[in-house]
Amino acid sequence: MYKYILRRLLLAVPVLVLSSLIVFGLMRVMPGDALTALMAESGNVSEKDLAKLRRDLGLDRPYYEQYGIWVWQMVSLNPGYSIFTNEPIAEALGKAIPVTVELAVLALIFGLVIAIPIGVLSATRQDTASDYAGRLVATSGLSLPDFWLGTLVITFAAIWFGWIPRLGYVSLWESPARNLQQFVLPAAVLGFRLSAATMRMTRSTVLEVLREDYVRTAWAKGLGERIIIYKHALKNALIPVVTLVGGQLGTLLAGTVIVETIFALPGMGRLTVEAILFRDYPVVQTNVMLVAGALVGLNLLVDLTYAWLDPRIRYQ
Amino acid sequence: MALARPRVADFRERAAEEVSRWAALRATVGRKPLGIASAGLIAVLVLTALFAEALAPYDPLAAQPEIRLAPPSWAHPFGTDDIGRDVLSRIIYGSRISLWVGLLAVGIGTFAGMIVGLASGYCEGRVDLVLQRVMDAVQAIPGLILALAIVSVLTPSTTNAMLAIAVVIIPGNSRIVRGAVLSAKQNRYVEAAQAIGCRHPRIVASHILPNVTAPILIIASIWLGNAILIEASLSFLGLGTQPPTPSWGLMLSSTGRAFMEQAPWLAIFPGLAISLAVLGFNLFGDTLRDAWDPRLRRDG
Repeated sequence: MYKYILRRLLLAVPVLVLSSLIVFGLMRVMPGDALTALMAESGNVSEKDLAKLRRDLGLDRPYYEQYGIWVWQMVSLNPGYSIFTNEPIAEALGKAIPVTVELAVLALIFGLVIAIPIGVLSATRQDTASDYAGRLVATSGLSLPDFWLGTLVITFAAIWFGWIPRLGYVSLWESPARNLQQFVLPAAVLGFRLSAATMRMTRSTVLEVLREDYVRTAWAKGLGERIIIYKHALKNALIPVVTLVGGQLGTLLAGTVIVETIFALPGMGRLTVEAILFRDYPVVQTNVMLVAGALVGLNLLVDLTYAWLDPRIRYQ
Repeated sequence: MALARPRVADFRERAAEEVSRWAALRATVGRKPLGIASAGLIAVLVLTALFAEALAPYDPLAAQPEIRLAPPSWAHPFGTDDIGRDVLSRIIYGSRISLWVGLLAVGIGTFAGMIVGLASGYCEGRVDLVLQRVMDAVQAIPGLILALAIVSVLTPSTTNAMLAIAVVIIPGNSRIVRGAVLSAKQNRYVEAAQAIGCRHPRIVASHILPNVTAPILIIASIWLGNAILIEASLSFLGLGTQPPTPSWGLMLSSTGRAFMEQAPWLAIFPGLAISLAVLGFNLFGDTLRDAWDPRLRRDG
C-alpha cells in the first residue's frame, strides 16, 4: 500500500506543475498585459503610475521569474494582493473557502441522499413505471441548468410563498439556524444536479451486480430480497459509485460558481467570477490553481480509498 | 493480388459493420420511446435554427417600449421583455447560437481530442506519457472554470466561448479515443497490416480509425448537450454571447433575473428551451450508447 501511495503522489506532482503552467500561461497570453487592459477600461491613469504598478506587481520581470515568484507565493500560502481591492488574496480566500466548502458538503450529502435510494429502486424495478420515473428525474437533473433551477426556485418561492431568502451571509458559528436557512436552497439545487449521474451509476452497477453468480446463490439459498439487495449487492455496487462521486467533485466546484452567483453567497465561485469580470488576474490565477490543486488532492484521496476498499487495484 | 484480398475483406467487414450499426440504432430508437422523443427534440431544434426567419413572428431585436413586460398572449405567446421585444422570436433565433456553438465546439474539440488520442494510443511510450499528463493537467481544472478563465483572457464573445468549450472537451475525448485505439491495436489484422509493411498513416486510417468512430460519436452526442449548457452558463455569467444578440443563457440572466417577480415568463421560457435542447442530446447520446455499446445493452 505504501508503494502505491508513493507512486500516486509522484504522479500527482507533474499534473500540478503542468496545471500551474497552463494557468500561468493563460494569464499571460492576454493581448498586452493584464494591467494595460485594466487601465484602458478605467482611463485616467498616467504612464508613470502604470509603470510603477507594473513594477510593484512584478510584471516587468521575465516570465520564468514571475512564474517562480508565483509558485513560491502559492507554496508559502501568501499569494499576493488583489489589484482591485488591494486586499491580501489569502484573507479574501480565508473568508470565501468556508462558504464554498459548506455549500459543497451540504450539496454532496443532499445529492447522495436522493441518488442512492432512487438508483437502487430503479435497478430493482427495471423497466417498470418507477424505473422510468427515476431515470426521468436523473436525466432531467443532468439537463436542467442549475442557473435556471436556482432562478426558478427563488422566483416561485417569492411568488407563491412570499418568501425571499435573506441576502447577506451569516456564518454557521454566528447563527446556525439562519446559516442553514441560507444554504438549504442552494445546496438542494446543486445537489439535485449531482444526484443525476450518481443515480444513473448506482442503477447500472446494482443491475450489473444483481446478475452476478453470488447474488444468484443468495437467491438460491432463499434469502429475502431486502437482505440480498442491501447486504450483498449494494456493498459491491457502491465501489464504482465512490469513484464517480470523486470524479464529480469538479462538477461540484464548477456548480458552486453558478449557485453562489445566483444566491449571493460570498464563496470562492463568486470571488472568481467577480475577479474574471474585473480582470483581477492575481485573484483569478490563484483561485483557478487552488481549485485544480484541491481537485487533484481530492481525487488522490478517492483513488487511495478505492485501493483500500479493493486491494486488486494496488497490484495493477 | 496478395494485397488486394485483405482490402476487399476489410471493405466488406466495414460495410457490414456500418449496416449493422444503423440497424442497431434504428432498432433501439424503435424499441425505446425515449429514443424517438430525443430524435424528435433534436429535429425540432435543428429545424427551428434553420428556418428561424420564417418561424419567428417578429424581429428579435425590434423594441416596442409601449408593450414592455407584456404577459403571454395570442400576439406574443411567450410575452415580451423589458424593452418590448418578443420573447418567442428571441428564443427561436437563440436556437441558432446554441446549436452553432454546440456543433462547432464539439466538432473542434472532438477532432483535436481524436488526434491527441490517436497519437497517444498508437505511439504509446513517451509520447503517450507526455500527452496524457498534459491532458490530466487540463482536466484538473473543472470545465466551467477553465472555460471562464479562457474567455476572460480572450474577451467575452460567442466565438471565444466556443473555443473555450472546445478546449474543455479535448482531454475527455482524447482519453476515450486512446482507450479504443489501444484495444483496436490488439486485433490480429492490425498486426497483419504491420507485418506486410503497411505504413503507419494507412494502418491508422484504414484499420484503427473505423474502430474508434462509435465511441467518438457517442461521446460527441453527449458533449453536444454539455456544450450548449456551458455556453448558456457562460452567457448567463456575462462571459459568453453579448447583448443584444439573442442567446438563451443571456436572456435568462439579463432580463430573466432582473424582472423575475414581475415577469416570470422571461426566466421560464429561455430556461425551458435550454433544458429541452440539452435533454434531447443527452437522451440521444444514451440511445446511441444503448445501440452501439453491447455491454450496456440489457439483452446483449
